[in-house]
Amino acid sequence: MSEQVLKLDSVSVAFGGLMAVDAVSFQVAAGEILGLIGPNGAGKTTLFNAVSGYYKPTRGRISLLGQDVTGHAPYELAAKGVGRTFQVVKPFSGLSVLENILVASYLRYPRQAEARHKAQEVLKFTGLAERADMPAAGLTLAGRKRLEMGKALALEPKLLLLDEVVAGLNPTEGDQTVDLILKIRESGVTILIVEHIMRVIMRISSRIIVLNYGQMIAQGRPEEVAQDRRVIEAYLGEGSQAANGSTA
Amino acid sequence: MRKIPAWLWILLTVGATGLVPVVMTDAFFLRLFTEALMWIGLAITWDLVAGYTGYLNFGHGVSFGIGAYTAALLIMRAGWPFGPAAVAGGVAAGLMALIAGWPTLRLRGAYFAIGTWALNRAIMQLALVLNFTGGPDGMRLPPFLDPKFFAWVMLGVVGATFLTLWLFLEEAPFGLKLKAIREDELGSLAIGINPAKLKLQAYVLSAVPVGVIGSVYAYWITFIDPVSTLGDLITDQAVVMAIFGGLGTLIGPVIGAILFFAFKTYFWAYLSDYQVLYLIILGLAIAATVFFLPDGFWGTVARRQEGRRALQKGMALAQLPEK
Repeated sequence: MSEQVLKLDSVSVAFGGLMAVDAVSFQVAAGEILGLIGPNGAGKTTLFNAVSGYYKPTRGRISLLGQDVTGHAPYELAAKGVGRTFQVVKPFSGLSVLENILVASYLRYPRQAEARHKAQEVLKFTGLAERADMPAAGLTLAGRKRLEMGKALALEPKLLLLDEVVAGLNPTEGDQTVDLILKIRESGVTILIVEHIMRVIMRISSRIIVLNYGQMIAQGRPEEVAQDRRVIEAYLGEGSQAANGSTA
Repeated sequence: MRKIPAWLWILLTVGATGLVPVVMTDAFFLRLFTEALMWIGLAITWDLVAGYTGYLNFGHGVSFGIGAYTAALLIMRAGWPFGPAAVAGGVAAGLMALIAGWPTLRLRGAYFAIGTWALNRAIMQLALVLNFTGGPDGMRLPPFLDPKFFAWVMLGVVGATFLTLWLFLEEAPFGLKLKAIREDELGSLAIGINPAKLKLQAYVLSAVPVGVIGSVYAYWITFIDPVSTLGDLITDQAVVMAIFGGLGTLIGPVIGAILFFAFKTYFWAYLSDYQVLYLIILGLAIAATVFFLPDGFWGTVARRQEGRRALQKGMALAQLPEK
């Protein structure tokens, strides 16, 4: 039994009367890439925000590496080993690419020289080294998504939350990002990823969880999930050809 | 040859500036010299919170006035010597910042700007109605008329402030973390930054030297009242200087303070019949700066170079094969 990095125990996040995430429980094992999919508004980003501390769960418990971290602030979770990217990228636009990574490196390396060393390492790893002195605002979308991942990696996370890092990229850039994600996993980081592009999520995930209206409707290996009747219904609507086909 | 570190440059510059009162002994000149230094101190500390952290402090004068009143009260009512009284002025200003910043800086957005502005008003009203502060008549301190002494004291205080801010903002991680908060506060949380704590540290770090400067001002001018130490002009002029010079740098506000103080002096010397014009020009200067030089005087110069560097870099990049 491999080490358990993240465990959600019937976590709910409610906004007023709306259950954005409704009693979701799952576990992420060390070294795994767990894909999180679901139609728009299914609660994927809300779940991410709960796991990274941006929202406090209304009910339920979240534990990280066996330690209860429910309701901890995002900066505390970052220190405990949670790195995340944002679907709507959040570069520090007025700072250079290097400075963006550097400021994240300070978390593990408060000394200037060591932090710079770490930042250079991350720049190389993410392929941003040539653009180190550019203002972050001048990066292309692909570059900014890479920068998001670089900032998260500079924290030396145990668990990395990737929120749609491939969506919006052209196929070449998308493939490069997929390679980068696989490279990150090889370096020993556990990954929880939200992605809309099925081609990507099916390829890289070791396991997939499907959310719909805040509830977990399926989980399993990619090929199992792809055949699941409820998943197909959630995506294509009830009574659709595919859903009927799979029941028949 | 080894590069001279920045802190040594700063010490050398402060030392060289310290020679000015030796050569130029004219009392009127020394007064201008001391006041120019004072404004440099007010402008760089304002920039620490506004330019680096992105939070507008419209109550910078509170730190100044609290410092001035604390020193004056300790000297007059408790018989303290000037030195310890000036230190106490800094401590009092720092404590006030801690108390005011605790609730307002936990929130994002305009609360801090509104809160500091209201605080400035409240403290000024307090100084006006209280008996022991002398109410609207203010307080008179024992005259210690040595222009050279004050020129050096002000230089020492402002020089030490500049050096401290330089080390914190340009050498230590602190400065870049503040800039990250300015650029995207929610995003900064994700990389392990606690904005509420850092913003409070920045605010206190900016208030303490201003309190000391206020104390020196009180002893130097020998007369303080609510309007001269807690009035809007203290904050307003520091704001204009910092914005005109260029926010988010330490050199910018220094240049802004010198240029604006020169203008102010010239104005009051030759155009004092048109007092009302002063505030109008102050407002127009702000508007024009924001419109035409959004990065301020120094920011525009520096960015030009940065732009040129980026351009060269871009040309070099264009020749690299895309992988």
